[in-house]
Amino acid sequence: MERKSLLFTAFIYASALLLAVVILAPVLWLFIMSISPAADLSAKPLRWWPQEVDFSRYAVLLSTVENSAGASFVASLYNSLRIAGMATIAAIALAIPAGWAVSRTPAVGWSLSVVIATYMLPPVALAVPLYMGLAWLGLLNNIFGLALVYLTILAPFTTWLMKSGFDSIPREIESAAMIDGASLFQTLRIITLPLAAPVVATSALFALLLAWDEFFYALLFTSDLRAKTLTVAIADLAGGRVSDYGLIATAGVLAALPPVLIGLVMQRALISGLTSGGVKG
Amino acid sequence: MSALEIQNIRKSYGAVETLKGIDIALQSGEFLVLLGSSGCGKSTLLNIIAGLAEATSGDIRIADRSILGVHPKDRDIAMVFQSYALYPNLSVRRNIGFGLEMRKVPVAERDKAVQEAARLLQIEPLLDRKPSQLSGGQRQRVAIGRALVRKPQVFLFDEPLSNLDAKLRLEMRTELKRLHQMLKTTVVYVTHDQIEAMTLASRIAVMKDGRIEQLGTPEEIYNHPATLYVAGFVGSPPMNILDVEVDNGSLSIVGSDVRLPLPERFRPAASDGKQLALGIRPEALRLASADQSGGHALPARIEVVELTGPELVATARIGQQKLTACLAPRAKLGQGDAAVFLFDDDALHLFDRASGRACLA
Repeated sequence: MERKSLLFTAFIYASALLLAVVILAPVLWLFIMSISPAADLSAKPLRWWPQEVDFSRYAVLLSTVENSAGASFVASLYNSLRIAGMATIAAIALAIPAGWAVSRTPAVGWSLSVVIATYMLPPVALAVPLYMGLAWLGLLNNIFGLALVYLTILAPFTTWLMKSGFDSIPREIESAAMIDGASLFQTLRIITLPLAAPVVATSALFALLLAWDEFFYALLFTSDLRAKTLTVAIADLAGGRVSDYGLIATAGVLAALPPVLIGLVMQRALISGLTSGGVKG
Repeated sequence: MSALEIQNIRKSYGAVETLKGIDIALQSGEFLVLLGSSGCGKSTLLNIIAGLAEATSGDIRIADRSILGVHPKDRDIAMVFQSYALYPNLSVRRNIGFGLEMRKVPVAERDKAVQEAARLLQIEPLLDRKPSQLSGGQRQRVAIGRALVRKPQVFLFDEPLSNLDAKLRLEMRTELKRLHQMLKTTVVYVTHDQIEAMTLASRIAVMKDGRIEQLGTPEEIYNHPATLYVAGFVGSPPMNILDVEVDNGSLSIVGSDVRLPLPERFRPAASDGKQLALGIRPEALRLASADQSGGHALPARIEVVELTGPELVATARIGQQKLTACLAPRAKLGQGDAAVFLFDDDALHLFDRASGRACLA
């Protein structure tokens, strides 16, 4: 290997550091805001580090006293978890057979393209039809209704991802399983799905994040604690006459935690390269 | 009763006909090699036998039972793929036993069969590994083992050795031959390697453009090629093909004044003035010398001499036509030398230029 000059090495490290700072600085600032006293946040010149560390807002948001800001926040956190979870599970359950079918039957590939094309529509174009549809079904302000709407967004996306995942698994392996006497379902369960596990995990993670972060439909289709999601709850915090930026920041930190934790847990599943060795590569 | 009967199989993809009526009948225990260059339809034919593709028309019978429309798992076949197609997430043991597992064979019986196959293939120590932990040759053995445990009526091999390096290919070839001699199962084996075909086959079907050019034993294919294509495809270096014209009962080599007598057996097919192709295998040629004479003589000028080790390959010209000869390594030859090659009468082949078919007596 060619030896790099010291200057070049320094340049590489400096670039990496810069990238890390650009990505991490907002997150760090969010956290600092969440633990700064209100006075520090409006002080001039700006204080980069609070005079005293103040964790009280976390207690406020996580309190379970009835009718408090905390109860409302916790309820929306729970709603978000359930809605995003349901939508993701349903999307993956749909995407596995659909993606497999499209991957192994090129003749029906056009159908996926048509579905993806609808994905190109801006959400606002679908807002009114979806609202009317949900109203007719009686699913407005209902977590199942919102999960259903999210499913329509997630399913094409996850199917597309799963299809490319299945495409990378050699068909010969499935032919071999077929000759060996495995049924379609056995082939999928014993051979194909374990090989596609990294793609399934990736799809699930992205779908979850997409549903977790969605704001527009959630704002339109929910109105109170029964279905309101985190993103809407955070917006509500900012909507009053007096905005406590610290509280918004705290909500932001708390809202980021579940996806981060899930991401960490799934990291192992995301490691790909499981297919190596089955066929000559 | 035939173990495998292929009757007038045709296959079209849209307007393109890749198989144009294939007929083969195999006795039990035969080793049939489908030989041809890529795109000749040999893999398509194998896939049709396996049930991975459907024939457009025709019938395939295994043990006198039509298997068209029968699911691959019920055809009593096992297939070894070019890419091995092992299940990467399962252990070698489970890979080999998978067919039995799917057929709900009891665990004890399955384990015994897997052990037996592993012993035959000498991969017993590898049973608990994953395919990714194996070398190419070991993976190939596992793939064969997976086919072996099923004890099928017919084994199908799709270029199983083409992913191996040269030395390993040689080893596995011998191994396959040993296995076939031991198990005596009917085999259909696809390859584009004529050495593999010659060494393994009990019969070879040379295919070209979706048709069988010639079906015969390796000896027949080598010694009596039915067409120019077969003559050129089998043998390394390939058979010399010289343009000749029948002239007054003898063969005149086009572009030179060399004449050869027309052997008696070709007389009915070779009328005067006819354009023919003369075939002589490079290894049938020998250098004329004081103690080497007799047979037909071909004077030529040497252009290139290559020593491969066991033999000396000389490329020469007769007029404008090229001639290759495989000679003893000690032959004294140099570039530009004039040499006379001798060959026996029965080494001479004649083909009709227009149809490409052999002129047989």
